[in-house]
Amino acid sequence: MNQVPLNFREYWQETLASLARYPACPELEPIPLRSTAFATLYGVRVTSVGPYRLFGYLSIPAGTGPFPAIYYSPKYQSVLEIIPQGTANLIRSRYITFSLAGRGQRNADTPYAAMFPGLLTERIGDAAAYIFRGIVADSVRGLELLLTRRELDPTRVVVVGNDLALMTSTLTSGATHVVAAPALFYKTAELAIRTHAYPLEEVNDYLRTFPARAEAVRRTLAYYDLRAFAPGLTATTLLMAGAPGTLFDAQALKPLVNALSAEVTVHESEQSLYRDGLYAEQWMATQCGISDLQRILPEHWRD
Amino acid sequence: MPKTVPADYQSRVRKPHDFDAFWDDVLRQAAAVPLEAEVVPDPLRTSDDVEVFEAFYTSLDHVRVASWYCRPARRAERLPAIMFLPGYQMDPPIPKEWARKGYIALSVAPRGKLRSNRHFNPGYPNLLTYNIVDRHTYAYRGFYVDTWRGVDFLLSRPEVDGARIGVVGSSQGGGLTITTAAMRPEVRAAAAGAPYLCGFMDAIELTHTYPYEEINDYLRLHPERLAEVENTLAYFDGINFAERIACPIVMNIGLQDNVCPPETGYALFNRIGASDKQLNPYDGHGHDAGRSRHGAIVDRFFAERLLSER
Repeated sequence: MNQVPLNFREYWQETLASLARYPACPELEPIPLRSTAFATLYGVRVTSVGPYRLFGYLSIPAGTGPFPAIYYSPKYQSVLEIIPQGTANLIRSRYITFSLAGRGQRNADTPYAAMFPGLLTERIGDAAAYIFRGIVADSVRGLELLLTRRELDPTRVVVVGNDLALMTSTLTSGATHVVAAPALFYKTAELAIRTHAYPLEEVNDYLRTFPARAEAVRRTLAYYDLRAFAPGLTATTLLMAGAPGTLFDAQALKPLVNALSAEVTVHESEQSLYRDGLYAEQWMATQCGISDLQRILPEHWRD
Repeated sequence: MPKTVPADYQSRVRKPHDFDAFWDDVLRQAAAVPLEAEVVPDPLRTSDDVEVFEAFYTSLDHVRVASWYCRPARRAERLPAIMFLPGYQMDPPIPKEWARKGYIALSVAPRGKLRSNRHFNPGYPNLLTYNIVDRHTYAYRGFYVDTWRGVDFLLSRPEVDGARIGVVGSSQGGGLTITTAAMRPEVRAAAAGAPYLCGFMDAIELTHTYPYEEINDYLRLHPERLAEVENTLAYFDGINFAERIACPIVMNIGLQDNVCPPETGYALFNRIGASDKQLNPYDGHGHDAGRSRHGAIVDRFFAERLLSER
């Protein structure tokens, strides 16, 4: 693999120190339209490094708890979902859920509105200023905020997302479980040249236009490669691999799996959102001791 | 195992008596708005084999609509075109892959989407219920027209063979494919996957997932508005557009679709007016609707109907 930068730890310590300089100053506002008999939804404003004001959706189940929690780290899309599309709303009756928009996503797009495609290469030629340095900090801030909820059971906190889920769970304590689907920051430059598909195609576009910046891009990406984070991860992990033969299949992810110090399960995609989704839901429910999974599955997935 | 889905599912939606008059009036209003088509080269996204442009045109209510426009770098004088329509929360992609297959390709960002949200931005969630009690200002009135105007944009391009235009999309893109194929006779072939915006009132009982759950949220807060909501949605339901579709069409649904219930897919398909229609239901698949297996069918479908008519 590419060398882990000698100052990898310092780079991220500095990032976290910058984040710590800004108090979160959370504001919670109930959203009656999205609240139900089984869960109350809040819009959350919180400050991250910059300073930059973010937005998230926090759902708290009815009842006394403590509840397991799912933290949906920022996705690579403009839209912020309350829970991922296709997830049964009733999942909010069993888990606290918190989804966060990183800087640039909708509801967190002032003053910076991200473009998709475009975000992945925003200031990628400068590791210190790369946009994802702030977004990773945003994601850490989100988890920190979630962990302050008194309704939360700290022994059952699942972070779900793409590469950011794994990075976040490594950089800050509190995640007990991770469900991660690498898509952006695993062997990025190496895999990008093997595809025309976005978002990795953004890197190809960038390097075709600015070939002289290739070395700078490689340097920046080295700070974000999941293999560099892997030894620091302790949370029990479900790695969602691509289907056999695809860029992120189980074979391709082997170096990452080998580098993880955490207990890890690899699920190779069956190219079915039903089968893959059901597997992840079952895994989380088992890990969190949810006994009535059928009740919180989408209707068309139930037995 | 999940339950079996009835292929003869009957939707509760009824077609309003003035459905055609409503849309004829909307089309009249849209026709009065100049298209003002514009293409701007995007050198960052352009490669040796595909030229990429940001494209813009004006739609209903004078909303400026953005899109991505791609064409093969090496091409014949006139080519068939594919219009790609986006999912509900998808950021419209750059359709380079369609250009690589030999088509001019347009990927539309209807109002409210990223790059088309300066004049109209109801947000996500929210688009589905924005002004849902008034068909004259409901979000999808303009949203639908934005996609139909995409056909006008393609017809304005000298390199497009206007007799060979296809439309494709999945989820919301599938629903928009249905309405576009119904309302624009210039569309010669259509491929709709996991169609959303079809059987709204059925879907909110069959499933409780977003985005349809937005309607349940709305009705929980405003139960007294049920009749108005149902009335508005009847004008926008893809099932009520379906009988107008005359072009060849291929559809795919997932029988374990947790977003767009497969029952509504069946109800839609049974109402499509075209004689050349084909439905591929995929057991063991959810909202992907069997994409990994169905992609080749769509490629072949368009190639036979658009590429081979040279």
